[in-house]
Amino acid sequence: MSEALLDIKDLTIEFGSGSQPLRVVDNISFAVSLGETVGIVGESGSGKSMTALSVLRLVPEAARVSGQIIFEGRDLLKLPKREMPAIRGKEIGMIFQEPMSSLNPLMTIGDQIDEAIRLHEDIPAPERRKRVLALLRLVGMPDPENRLSAYPDQFSGGMRQRVMAAIAMACNPKLLIADEPTTALDVTIQAQVLAMMLDIRARFNSSILLITHDLGVVAEICERVVVMYAGRILEDADARSLFSNARHPYTQGLLRSVPTLNDTRKRLYQIPGSVPPAGTIKAGCPFRPRCSVRMERCAVEMPPLRTYDPGHRVACWATAEAAA
Amino acid sequence: MSVLIDIQGLGKTFSDPSLRLGPRRPPVRAVDQVSFQILRGEALAIVGESGCGKSTLGRLLLQLIEPSEGKVIFEGKDLNKTTKAEMRQLRRKMQMVFQDPFGSLSPRRKVVDIIAEPMDSFGMTKSRKERREKVAELLTLVGLPSSYMDRKPRQFSGGQRQRIGIARAISVDPMFIVADEPVSALDVSIQAQIINLMQDLQEKKGFSFLFIAHDLAVVRHIADRVAVMYLGRIVEMGTKEQIYAAPHHPYTEALLSAAPQPDPTATRDRIILKGDVPSPSNVPSGCAFRTRCPLAADICRDERPSLREIEPHRTVACHFAAPRPISHRRAMA
Repeated sequence: MSEALLDIKDLTIEFGSGSQPLRVVDNISFAVSLGETVGIVGESGSGKSMTALSVLRLVPEAARVSGQIIFEGRDLLKLPKREMPAIRGKEIGMIFQEPMSSLNPLMTIGDQIDEAIRLHEDIPAPERRKRVLALLRLVGMPDPENRLSAYPDQFSGGMRQRVMAAIAMACNPKLLIADEPTTALDVTIQAQVLAMMLDIRARFNSSILLITHDLGVVAEICERVVVMYAGRILEDADARSLFSNARHPYTQGLLRSVPTLNDTRKRLYQIPGSVPPAGTIKAGCPFRPRCSVRMERCAVEMPPLRTYDPGHRVACWATAEAAA
Repeated sequence: MSVLIDIQGLGKTFSDPSLRLGPRRPPVRAVDQVSFQILRGEALAIVGESGCGKSTLGRLLLQLIEPSEGKVIFEGKDLNKTTKAEMRQLRRKMQMVFQDPFGSLSPRRKVVDIIAEPMDSFGMTKSRKERREKVAELLTLVGLPSSYMDRKPRQFSGGQRQRIGIARAISVDPMFIVADEPVSALDVSIQAQIINLMQDLQEKKGFSFLFIAHDLAVVRHIADRVAVMYLGRIVEMGTKEQIYAAPHHPYTEALLSAAPQPDPTATRDRIILKGDVPSPSNVPSGCAFRTRCPLAADICRDERPSLREIEPHRTVACHFAAPRPISHRRAMA
């Protein structure tokens, strides 16, 4: 599990030109190992979705991306643009939040899954049909033979998300990126889709990069968690130590503020203040205005990510001081 | 606690309003034979998945839409039988907080005008000075600086806008507030602020509260009692303690077990329901939940289970109602 499939180094994404560019992702580095499920958790404006899109080189044209995105030894940011389509869908699959806007309403779902195979592999039609049916079974589509000729609007949200997953897995990608795959779904349907993702991981040994705002979903399926806030990584740890021993005051506050089914607290813990809009905090730690343990240094200098226990990185001056 | 609102056999059917040619779509039974009471000063939560009729129910209670059948009795008055003038006076006593704080505030108006609008409409402000003083008081009450009153909503974050929406709702000292998913559009770190604020205000002001939500964990914090809806019907209702410790309806049990919890060591026997919620225009016969229910038997197809009281304060609509304790144990480390 130690070999990195995806290694993101010093990734920065900026919009706008001149002396005041809007920096939505600020110098972040993390890796996803083979077969590992990594969650990026963040609130609005944290840069989590931009990070995911940048891996597929799908950020808007106006964005300036710097750093390295090394996938299987190649820096994707240095590849000529025309080589990206061969990677998208083949090496890296993607599931988006709203499947209806990602599926073609005028094509049957059988044709859409078939297209995903045809684009990357040269195999005869009857075999492709077999693969399409196998994929639909994999994602738990009931009665797949009869559903091949159905159109996306004939499916519910949960079923569309299964179709998306079938397309994403069509060429057995090594990495699956899922951006808020269950956010638009009802609780009982979300449980179905999460179970499907666990099943996919078990069968294909794919690595998964899951983007979410929901700590419950992260706890459910991720092995490692990257916590982002206002474009920065504040904490990066394996899931168990993050949930039992969060070290960054933001992560700690977030975990304490989430209502759970079994807690009997009268009042919830609350982090004061509001989430800063993307790119508005220029210097120092972006969480400082809301932080209860902030120090003078936090206003001037962004704390670097420092390793505490093996595999547990935290960017916080107060944490560093407490550990010293 | 005495009864504030008595809901009797409330139902709402929407029919296809389109003028196009061809066959009409079948009518949608959004709310079906719903009866319960809301006590003075209580917080009641309505929980269910999309399409279960929870928002329609909230709007029916406020008479924002007219019921197809049944009654809503508010302080002893049947809302269907009130005159326009009476209803207008009653409106002051019932207010609403919406899900989307962006869509529910006019972008062109200043905060002071947005918050004062209900007071203006009931002639509760005598002078400009008094109006500003009242708005300043309300802003402080919801945790915003009173100097914000001359700004426009776009200058605020989602959480701040929801505070403005809440200030507006409490401005006329209502006895009843319907909050429709008031925190589900907010960032995680902001949700707790708004939940705490609503709890504090309810304690301070003593209004009754109908809290509509899909998230059972959020409800646990705010509600005294919980009603679970499925396809337009209440399937289970009870005190918070009763519902969370041991639901009696298999749907409530499935909802509780499906909610992801922020604890990777929690061991739970997850129940994953098969299939989707059926369309409310084609509700299954008998028990509406039977097509997804792990316990379904013949009787569930033939006979609609009535909502019956199985212990004080607790009603369940299931032929096989029985305690289904949920374990939230933590695994031994």
